[in-house]
Amino acid sequence: MTKKEPAPLIETKNLFKSYFNEAVETPVLFDINLRIDAGEFVAIMGPSGSGKSTLMHILGFLDVPTKGHYHFKGESTEEKTEDELARIRSSSVSFVFQSFNLLPRTSVIDNVTLPLLYHSGTKPAERREKAMKAIKAVGLTDRATYLSNQLSGGQQQRVAIARALVTEPGVIFADEPTGNLDSASGKHVMEILQSLHEEGHTIILVTHEKTTAEHAARIIRIMDGHVVADDRTFTRRIASQVKELK
Amino acid sequence: MQIRDTVTIALKAVTGNRARSLLTMLGIIIGVGAVVLMTSVGESMQSVILGQISALGPKTIALWPGKNGPEQGAATLNPDFDSITLNDVDALKKLSTITNVAPIIFVEGKTGYGEEQTDTRVVGTTPEYYLNQIVNAAEGRLHDEQDELQGRYVAVLGPDTARDLFFNASPLGKRIEIGNQKYTVIGVLEPVGSQFFQNMDERIIIPFETAHTIAQRSYANMVTAMATGDTADAVDDIQFLLRRRHKIIPPATGIATDNDDFLVRSAEQAQEILGTVSTSLTAFITMIATISLVVGGIGIMNIMLVAVTERTREIGLRKALGARRKDILLQFLIEAVVLTMLGGLIGLLLGLSLNAIIVGIARKFLDRYIFAINFVAMIAALLMAAGTGLVFGIYPARKAAELSPMEALRYE
Repeated sequence: MTKKEPAPLIETKNLFKSYFNEAVETPVLFDINLRIDAGEFVAIMGPSGSGKSTLMHILGFLDVPTKGHYHFKGESTEEKTEDELARIRSSSVSFVFQSFNLLPRTSVIDNVTLPLLYHSGTKPAERREKAMKAIKAVGLTDRATYLSNQLSGGQQQRVAIARALVTEPGVIFADEPTGNLDSASGKHVMEILQSLHEEGHTIILVTHEKTTAEHAARIIRIMDGHVVADDRTFTRRIASQVKELK
Repeated sequence: MQIRDTVTIALKAVTGNRARSLLTMLGIIIGVGAVVLMTSVGESMQSVILGQISALGPKTIALWPGKNGPEQGAATLNPDFDSITLNDVDALKKLSTITNVAPIIFVEGKTGYGEEQTDTRVVGTTPEYYLNQIVNAAEGRLHDEQDELQGRYVAVLGPDTARDLFFNASPLGKRIEIGNQKYTVIGVLEPVGSQFFQNMDERIIIPFETAHTIAQRSYANMVTAMATGDTADAVDDIQFLLRRRHKIIPPATGIATDNDDFLVRSAEQAQEILGTVSTSLTAFITMIATISLVVGGIGIMNIMLVAVTERTREIGLRKALGARRKDILLQFLIEAVVLTMLGGLIGLLLGLSLNAIIVGIARKFLDRYIFAINFVAMIAALLMAAGTGLVFGIYPARKAAELSPMEALRYE
């Protein structure tokens, strides 16, 4: 008997996505075949309009493919009901958005606690404890009682990361997390994501900036809805060395 | 997500924009306030009137000349003011269905004691009157058959009249003046309060025979009696007898007729009329409540639709974080219910405060006006307010719940 290989965290086969506007079909993604394992730090990179955000929405269960297969933790996700998808979002994935998406006029701790409200059976004291732990991980313990709008952009994005951490999800999706930040804050946010990766979190980053994507160990390039390249750090290093030699 | 968390979120949303919430709730506040106020006033009035009727006793019957009865007191307004003759009264006394027939003659004239004057009504009547009115002497005695037989110049005072004329001194044995005639005070009545907006503690009672002699009248201004058995039978008998004596064609149907030159009423009938009045009052209040709650509900629906649009990104975020349709639906539904319940509670307090003010004012005019509240109406108004939130909140809440998480997140 051969030992069975563990199922990949994310696996897509012949995945297509189109948007429909009054019977007019606008295809966005074509034949996407991807495999991402637990613990990876992947950047999905491409210019705007390439379909990278749509891909992230599908992988993060915010949207569904038009055609093809998406297996998550070895399980088919087709024919899942809306509530089942909501349960996966609540337990297995979390998001960091470009525009932070914090609740305004709401304290840092309440913002970070928010995902736990949709987690059944977490008691208020336990929620607080988990939230404080996540806030500590992004270095904002002394700002826990501040209102979200009293913080700088970089701090707000760190709150968003804490909110993504609090449910201890399998995957953190970060959609242009540095897009609205100055370079120093952006660097800080990327450092946090990097350290989370080192702690074992799976991180899928969507960006159009090469410098941001460089933090990831693997870069998947998307162009006009097609995957055009899938480079691992190793091959990238070789390529740059070859370039230097020339 | 637990209900408690949802309620906390809803309260935060409602208190986050106080001016808007208050304006939204205004329709509900006014509706519930009006219902609480009107039912409380209705309850108080009913207890006043019921108190008067029960003071009379359900079997007490009153008879007035003229088809409109006591509403037309003045002779000029009532051409039939002399329709109930003393012969009629003698005939009434022979009826088996009634007893205690007490004719009344009102005596006019300047009334007072020494320097003190009063415009108190002077009632000339027989001792049966006390039985019909269910009143006793607090001091001294009531007048009796002997006083009637001898046509004595004696008077029994209502407690308020006694105080007006004599302050704290005892009026017993004092001689008061009524139209240039002196009367000896023999008793003071116990207080009974108001009856049909007349203060019954303000009266002077003299023997019927004496009043008859003084006023030179062969008719009665009013007659009181008491039914021996069924009150409706007694009323029928009186009507039959008087119509026959007055040669009035009896009506084909119904109790009263335009041809009648008298009016007869029992306390029981008054109670029935009161019942009808309170039924129509209830219908009226229900109508007001329904209209204002519907208007208020539309306001709630409008503001909840605005809230759903305003918070589209928040809804998208919550869904991205794992909120199910049900969680979003409940959040907005509970917010609508919290709005209407809060509006209901404010309306309730407003209605009760206004009622307290009205009670304060009414007490000055009606001794028996009491602070009364209708608990059933209060709870019904609150439940209806909450129901309004449910009914008018469901559409916006469903709209929110059905938003796709991705599109909601992209909403600008």
